[in-house]
Amino acid sequence: MRERKKSSAVEVSSVKKKKEKKTKDNNEPREQKEKEESQSIMKQQKNTTSRSKKEKQRKTTEDYESLRESELSGDEVHGTDRDVDNADDHHEEDQTDGSEGHRGVEESDSSEDEVAPRNTIGDVPLEWYKDEKHIGYDISGKKITKKERQDKLASFLANVDDSKSWRKIYDEYNDEEVELTKEEIRLVQRLLKGKAPHTDFDQYADYVDWFKYDDALHPLSNAPEPKRRFIPSKWESKKVVQYVRAIRKGLIKFDEPKEEEPKFYLLWGDDSSAAEKAKHLAYIPAPKPKLPGHEESYNPSLEYIPTQEELNSYQLMYEEDRPKFIPRRFTSLRSVPAYENAVKDSFERCMDLYLCPRVRKKRVNIDPETLKPKLPSRKDLKPYPVACYLEYKGHKGAVVSISTEASGQWFASGSTDGTVRIWEVESGRCLRVLEIGEAIQYVAWNPLPELPVLAVSVGQDVLILNTGLGNEEEQRRVKDLLHVETPTAPDDNMASIVSWLQHDKLDGIRLRHFKMVSSVEWHRRGDYLSTVMPAGESRAIFMHQLSKKLSHRIPFKLHGLPVSSVFHPTRSIFFVSTKKNIRVYDLLKQRLIKKLETGLKEVSSIAIHPAGDNLIVGSREGKLCWFDMDLSSKPYRVLKCHPKDITNVAFHRSYPLFASCSDDCTAYVFHGMVYSDLNQNPLIVPLEILRGHTSSNGRGVMDCKFHPRQPWLFTAGADSVIRLYCH
Amino acid sequence: MDMNIETPEDQNEENSRRVQVRFKTKLKPPQKVPSNSIAIPSNLTRFGLSSVVNNLLQAVNPEWKSEPFDFLINGELVRMSLEQFLLAKGISAEKVLEIEYIKAVAPQKEEEPSLHDDWVSAVDGSNPGVWKAGGVCTHILEGHCGAVSSVNIIKSDGLKYVTVATASKDQTLRLWKFDAEELVNHPKKIRSFKILRGHKASVHSIAAETSGNMVCSGSWDCTISLWRTNDSDAAGNQVSIKKRKGNNQVEEPQLEGEAISTLVGHTQCVSSVVWPQQETIYSASWDHSVRTWDVEMGKDLSDIFCGKALNCIDIGGEGSALIAAGGSDPILRIWDPRKPGTSAPVFQFSSHNSWISACKWHNKSWFHLISASYDGKVMLWDLRTAWPLSVIDSHKDKVLCADWWRGDSVISGGVDSKLCVSSGVSIQ
Repeated sequence: MRERKKSSAVEVSSVKKKKEKKTKDNNEPREQKEKEESQSIMKQQKNTTSRSKKEKQRKTTEDYESLRESELSGDEVHGTDRDVDNADDHHEEDQTDGSEGHRGVEESDSSEDEVAPRNTIGDVPLEWYKDEKHIGYDISGKKITKKERQDKLASFLANVDDSKSWRKIYDEYNDEEVELTKEEIRLVQRLLKGKAPHTDFDQYADYVDWFKYDDALHPLSNAPEPKRRFIPSKWESKKVVQYVRAIRKGLIKFDEPKEEEPKFYLLWGDDSSAAEKAKHLAYIPAPKPKLPGHEESYNPSLEYIPTQEELNSYQLMYEEDRPKFIPRRFTSLRSVPAYENAVKDSFERCMDLYLCPRVRKKRVNIDPETLKPKLPSRKDLKPYPVACYLEYKGHKGAVVSISTEASGQWFASGSTDGTVRIWEVESGRCLRVLEIGEAIQYVAWNPLPELPVLAVSVGQDVLILNTGLGNEEEQRRVKDLLHVETPTAPDDNMASIVSWLQHDKLDGIRLRHFKMVSSVEWHRRGDYLSTVMPAGESRAIFMHQLSKKLSHRIPFKLHGLPVSSVFHPTRSIFFVSTKKNIRVYDLLKQRLIKKLETGLKEVSSIAIHPAGDNLIVGSREGKLCWFDMDLSSKPYRVLKCHPKDITNVAFHRSYPLFASCSDDCTAYVFHGMVYSDLNQNPLIVPLEILRGHTSSNGRGVMDCKFHPRQPWLFTAGADSVIRLYCH
Repeated sequence: MDMNIETPEDQNEENSRRVQVRFKTKLKPPQKVPSNSIAIPSNLTRFGLSSVVNNLLQAVNPEWKSEPFDFLINGELVRMSLEQFLLAKGISAEKVLEIEYIKAVAPQKEEEPSLHDDWVSAVDGSNPGVWKAGGVCTHILEGHCGAVSSVNIIKSDGLKYVTVATASKDQTLRLWKFDAEELVNHPKKIRSFKILRGHKASVHSIAAETSGNMVCSGSWDCTISLWRTNDSDAAGNQVSIKKRKGNNQVEEPQLEGEAISTLVGHTQCVSSVVWPQQETIYSASWDHSVRTWDVEMGKDLSDIFCGKALNCIDIGGEGSALIAAGGSDPILRIWDPRKPGTSAPVFQFSSHNSWISACKWHNKSWFHLISASYDGKVMLWDLRTAWPLSVIDSHKDKVLCADWWRGDSVISGGVDSKLCVSSGVSIQ
C-alpha cells in the first residue's frame, strides 16, 4: 500500500513538472508553439473554442452552408493538422456567406459608431413595438413610423442585383439598412477568426520578466512563516500555568456575563411616552393669553357698550364674577388713557407662568363601547320570562317560599301567616289551604311526580304533608308512606335530637328537631331529604329517609354557620353552604371533595345547575357568584347586580336560564349557557329585570322558582302576592 | 244624479275633499239604498258613513229606524276616517268608490248573569236546548271529585236525550244523559252513566266526534285518548257494576270504559283538543305546538310550532280549515294549514292584555270568532280588521271560557262565578 502511494506521489510530481514545462511553453513565441502542436494542450483548447464558434454559426446559416460546414467539421475530426490550413478557407467562406451570417454579430454594436440613434426608446425589448405603426420616438418625442417592408421576393431580387448587398445589414432598432464599411468588415472577420478585433493589439506579446534574479539584501518572499519554525516560550507557558491555577483557586474573577435584554417586549405598548420620559423633560408651552376682541377696541360698536342698568348690575355682583373689562368708547386713539392694571396684569401673568404647574394631559383615546364585553343580543336568547300575566293572591302575610310540582301543574307556597297553599299554575286557583298555625320557613315539593308530598319547615318541625293530589292508588301509597308507628326510640341520643311523629291534625308526618330548621331539600329520588339547622352546631345537618323513617347526622365537620344545602342533581354529592364558603362532600366515600371560597360576606342561597358542574351563590350584599367546579375554587364570575340582599337564586331545569331575586323588589333573569365542550367557559348574559312587587317591612321578593318545563318564573313577594312571569 | 248629504261633521269644513262613493249591500230590500254614486266628505268615519246610509234609507222609507252599519272597502273593514283609509291602502280617490255595508256586529244587550257556587271553568253552547232562555239552570251533574275542566255536548240522533261529556282534574271523564225536553221547575240532580278512566293525570279538555260515537280527551300526562260513548259495552264492565253494587252507593249501574287508543307525541300537557272532522283531531299543548292527528293511523300529520304555551284551539273560518289558538301571551293567532311552506300565523290579534283562555269560531260565519282572556274581557273579532269588533267587559276577573250560543249570543264564564250571556249579535 505504502509503496503504491509513494509511486503515485512520484507520478503526481512528474505531472507537475510537465505542467510547469507547458506553462513555459505558453510563454514562448507563437511560431515555436505551432511547431509542437501534437503535444500542446493549448492547441486542443483552441480547437474546442473554434468548434463552438462554428456551432453558433451553423444555427444561423442556410442549409447548404451547414452541409459544407459538416464536411469541414468532419475534416477536423480526422486530423487537427489541417486545422491551420483550413483557417483561410474559413475566411473565404465567411466572406461569401450571405448578409445573414453577419447579422447575428453586427446587431450588437455596429450602430454605436454612427450618429446617435434616432430612436430613443432605450434598451427595451423590441417586441413591444412589434404591433405598433411606429418603432419609437425621436429625440423631440415624435413618433418614428415604420418603413414599408419589401416582401421577401422583392428584397431577394434587390439583393441579387446589388453587388454590395452582402455588406448590408438591417438595423431593427432604427428600422433601416446599414452598409458596413471595409474597416468594419475587417473587424468582423478578425472576430470570427477568434483574434483580437484590432490589428494593433497583440494578443501574444513577448513576456517581459520584471523580476531581478541577482542577489538582494532581503529575500523576496511573501510566504508566511511556517509553523514548524515556531518555538514555544518557556516563560509564557509558565505564566499560563500560573493563570490557570489562579482561576481554579478563584483568585482571578471574570466579569459576570451581562444580563441579556429580554427578548420579548410589549409589542403594542405605548412606547412613545416611555421614550419621551427617558430622554428629557418635555417642554410644555405656556398657555397663550387671550387675544383682545372687538369689545376691547378704543371705539367698539354700540352693542358692546353696557347700558347703565348692566353697569349697576355689575355692582351687585361679587368681585370675582364681575367682568374684568368694561368696554368704553373714545373719539380717537389719542384719548385712550393708560391702562391702570397693566402692571398688575403682567405681574399676575408672570406669576401664573411661574407658579402654576403645568402637566401634559394624557388623553386616552378609547371608545367606551369597545370596552364592553361582546355579548349576544337578548333577542337571540329567547325565550325567557318577560312579562307578568298571572298573580296568585290569597296569602295574608309575606310569602316566604314556593316550590313547584315536577310536572308543572301545581305549586305550593308557604307564608308567614301560617298557611301553605297549593295553587294551580294555569288558572291561578288556590286548590288547598293547609293551616299550620306557625310561620312557614320553607316548602319543598317532592321531585317524584307519583309522590305528591310536600315538605314544610315550620319552627323546629319539618312536616311531610300529603297534598291530596293524584288518583286513588297514589293516594293509598302516600298514606302508607306517611304513616308512623308509635315512636320506638331505639337510640335515646338520637331521639332527643330528631323524632318522627304522626301529625295530629293534618295528614302527614312531623319531624321534630331540636333547633330551628331553616331549609329542607329533597334528594332527586324523592326518598331522602336534608334539613339544615343553623344553630345546630356540630349536628346542624340531618339526612332523613322517608321510606324507613330514619335520620342520620351528616358526619362532616362544618366551619361556620350553615345556611343551606343542595344535593347534586346526578351524583351522590352534597353541597353545604356556610356563611363564607361552600363545602362539597361525597356521600358514598364520606369525605370532603372540595371547598369553594366565595369571598362573600354572607351567603344567603345556593343553586346548582342541572348538569351538576356549575353552582350559583347569592349573598346578602347583593352579589351573585358563579362557580365552575372544573375551573377553580374561586368564583368564575361575580355579578354585582342587586342593591340589596339577594334572597334566593334559581336555575332552570331545561332552559339555559338562571334568576336571582332580592329585597329590592326585583328579580333578575340571566342567560347561563353551560357548554358540553370543556374548552368553552359558561356564557352569562343578563337578560331582564322583572319588577312588579312592592316592598313590605323592608323585604321585597322572598323567593323565586322556575317553572319546571316552561321558561316562566314564579316570584314570591313580601307583599303576599305570588307572580308568574311568562315569556 | 248626484246627491250631496250634509252631515254635522262637514258643515264647518266646507272645503274638505269629497269622494265619489256608491253603496252596495247584500242585505234585503228594506235595508238597500239606491245604487247611485254620491259625493261624501272624505273625513267621514264609520259613524259618519253609517249616518249617511241611515239618511239615505230614511229618504226612501220614512219609517226607517236608524241602525249601525259596518263598511267594507275591498274586503276590509273601515276602522278610521275614509281619507286615512284610502291613503293607507293606496286606493285612488278619483274613481267611484264601492262601499259595501253590512250590519254592525255587536252584542245588543247584556242578560242577567247567572251566579254559580264556584268558578265557571267550561261552557259549551253547541246545543241550544240545554239552557233555557234567560239562563235558568236546568240540571246539575253530580259525581266528579275534582274540578271539572272541560265540558262537551255530544250530538245524538235520538232527540230525546242529550248526552254530555265532562273532563275533570280527578283524572276521569264522565258521560251524562238527561232529557232536554222535560220541563222542570227546580234544578234536577243526575249522576253520570259512564266513567272513563285511564289518564294518569288531570284531564284538561274533551272533544266529541261529529257523529257522537267517540270522544277524545287531552290530559296533563301528555297524551290524547280516544273513548267510545255508547252505553252497551263489553263484558269487562260488568265487574265494575258488581263492585258498585257491593258498595251500595248507587242505585243506577255505572259503567266504566277504557280508552280505545292513545295518541302519544306531545311532550307537555295537552291543553285543548278539537275534533271537527271524522278523521282528524287538532290539539294544542303547553309544549308550544299545534298538532294534527290522523285518527285511523294514530299519528300526527303536521306540527305547527308557536313559541308559546297554548291554552285553547278551535277550527273554523274559511272552509273550516283555519286554526285559531291562544295561549300564554295576549296574542290570538290564526294559522292556515293549507298554506304551504310556512308555519307563520296568517292573522295575529293582540288587543288583549293577558293570557287567552278560550277562542271559538262562529259556526256559520267565515270571519267571526270570539276570544276570552284572563284580563276579564271577551272580544269579538272579524278577520277583515285588526281591531276587535266589540269588547264584552262584563266579568270582573279572569274569563275562563266562552262560546257562541244559538248563533247570536256569546256566553262566557269566569273566576267571578258568573255565566254571562250577551245576546243580539247579528251575524248573517
